Amino acid sequence: MASEMESSIEASFSSSGVMSATSGILPPARSRIFKIIVIGDSNVGKTCLTYRFCAGRFPDRTEATIGVDFRERAVEIDGERIKIQLWDTAGQERFRKSMVQHYYRNVHAVVFVYDMTNIASFHSLPSWIEECKQHLLANDIPRILVGNKCDLRSAIQVPTDLAQKFADTHSMPLFETSAKNPNDNDHVEAIFMTLAHKLKSHKPLMLSQPPDNGITLKPEPKPTMTCWC
Amino acid sequence: MALRSAQGDGPASSRWAGGTLKADFNAKRKKKVAEIYQALNSDPTDVAALRRMAISEGGLLTDEIRRKVWPKLLNINTNDPPPLSGKNLRQMSKDYQQVLLDVRRSLRRFPPGMPDEQREGLQEELIDIILLILERNPQLHYYQGYHDIVVTFLLVVGERLAASLVEKLSTHHLRDFMDPTMDNTKHILNYLMPIIDQVNPELHDFMQSAEVGTIFALSWLITWFGHVLSDFRHVVRLYDFFLACHPLMPIYFAAVIVLHREQEVLDCDCDMASVHHLLSQIPQDLPYETLISRAGDLFVQFPPSELAREAAAQQQAERTAASTFKDFELASAQQRPDMVLRQRFRGLLRPEDPTKDVLTKPRTNRFVKLAVMGLTVALGAAALAVVKSALEWAPKFQLQLFP
Repeated sequence: MASEMESSIEASFSSSGVMSATSGILPPARSRIFKIIVIGDSNVGKTCLTYRFCAGRFPDRTEATIGVDFRERAVEIDGERIKIQLWDTAGQERFRKSMVQHYYRNVHAVVFVYDMTNIASFHSLPSWIEECKQHLLANDIPRILVGNKCDLRSAIQVPTDLAQKFADTHSMPLFETSAKNPNDNDHVEAIFMTLAHKLKSHKPLMLSQPPDNGITLKPEPKPTMTCWC
Repeated sequence: MALRSAQGDGPASSRWAGGTLKADFNAKRKKKVAEIYQALNSDPTDVAALRRMAISEGGLLTDEIRRKVWPKLLNINTNDPPPLSGKNLRQMSKDYQQVLLDVRRSLRRFPPGMPDEQREGLQEELIDIILLILERNPQLHYYQGYHDIVVTFLLVVGERLAASLVEKLSTHHLRDFMDPTMDNTKHILNYLMPIIDQVNPELHDFMQSAEVGTIFALSWLITWFGHVLSDFRHVVRLYDFFLACHPLMPIYFAAVIVLHREQEVLDCDCDMASVHHLLSQIPQDLPYETLISRAGDLFVQFPPSELAREAAAQQQAERTAASTFKDFELASAQQRPDMVLRQRFRGLLRPEDPTKDVLTKPRTNRFVKLAVMGLTVALGAAALAVVKSALEWAPKFQLQLFP
């Protein structure tokens, strides 16, 4: 597989821009680690999202993920250096049944991804949520819902209000985003950073706010529930 | 149909270009080509010799040779008509969407520089072959990564022959990966740690403490490394090797890679993420020939039957992968030079117990093991692995072998 797809750790430490404040030096061995698993149907963009966050850009080409890929990035939150580990899983159903459960171990948060241009990937969400329940002992693990590919406006099949309703039902915050949109670098960033902040502060991620208010975060003043395409 | 002839998998290959040794290499290569053609042209075809050629240094050397030898290794008659279906598979296949998604994304499998139009044509053929095989074999289930295997055959032998070869392969070597669930695949992965343990207990213990699991090797196993190696020459070299060997050989090869990277692993932080990350990034400059011969040696020293218990313990599962490898018809009886091996094998076994069918329990028999080691020297370990494995894993074959 592509070296560039699999060098996300290196990329994350050497990339400039958003990463400049935290890159260059490996985190001390004792920095906290947040382990986040990313799940959802095949081709919804799990690999692209995790790559975007860890390497700071959209990958040129991605292939089907076989098994589990791993990417990581060090960030600094309120002066604390934290490693965010993203476990990117295969979408095909057969892999999750017997393969992936090992990687649910000690997971701190779950990111469910669907493709906004593919209603079937949205309809699969209940089974992913169920799957997740079976693997995770703790019920209070933060979970978020991400609708990807919002840049393909003319092809949207999952309306925001429908997704929002679903997210509310399952007590998850919803984010609509695009891993691809080049003008949108902050957004994917914001999603994972939101999660990281929540994990750091140990607060439950979902507060029963009206969706449009988003989630209030100290360093992320922007509302999170938007499509910034 | 030399789809990638421009790539030149011949003498320019770096591992062969030994500077001053070039003349020597050329002579060696020429000799090997002659031997391969001799085996091909003998009547009946000397399949056992072809197997040894596929395993030994350099493998089958060129795609032109592969087009002739791969069908022999899979016992395919190239004159038979290719599998066909009159149905509109794209409309009726439940797997079509998944196959389409995976094939469309598999751009890297095609030679760099190939015109888009040609590549797209091949991608369409790839989809057709996969759907055809799935339709003809309803017991087989598509998995992501299967397309990485099929594309290798498509690029080497072309569409018509690829369908025949992959169909045979899918019902044999790949059979376990194509079950309704991946339980058997997982079981095969469970051989990885016991193999490592036999050779390097320290490395094994380190990996166990890290709880790294075995999923880093999943794509290696189920794509025969086609998914992770970017140089196609390395992929086809490994396919030569695997086509000539027992279906479990890829897991031995995976173990050999891990063992080869011992120091890097031990230098890693002892946690799942670090070790998984390190191992899942496969180095592109592996010493393939050395590793192939090492994998063969390991297979002979620690055959699957010896590891079965450990592997099962990994999963607390009773069922062994072996159960699905029963039909090893590929190693068919008419393959004459196997006779030589058989006789030697028998000769070595006979002093111990001439009446008992010792081959049914080779792992309990020290003499068999010694015999194996002895033969290893003479024939090359991996070449022997073919025979030995067939004995252990295929009752049917055994009957043919020892009538």
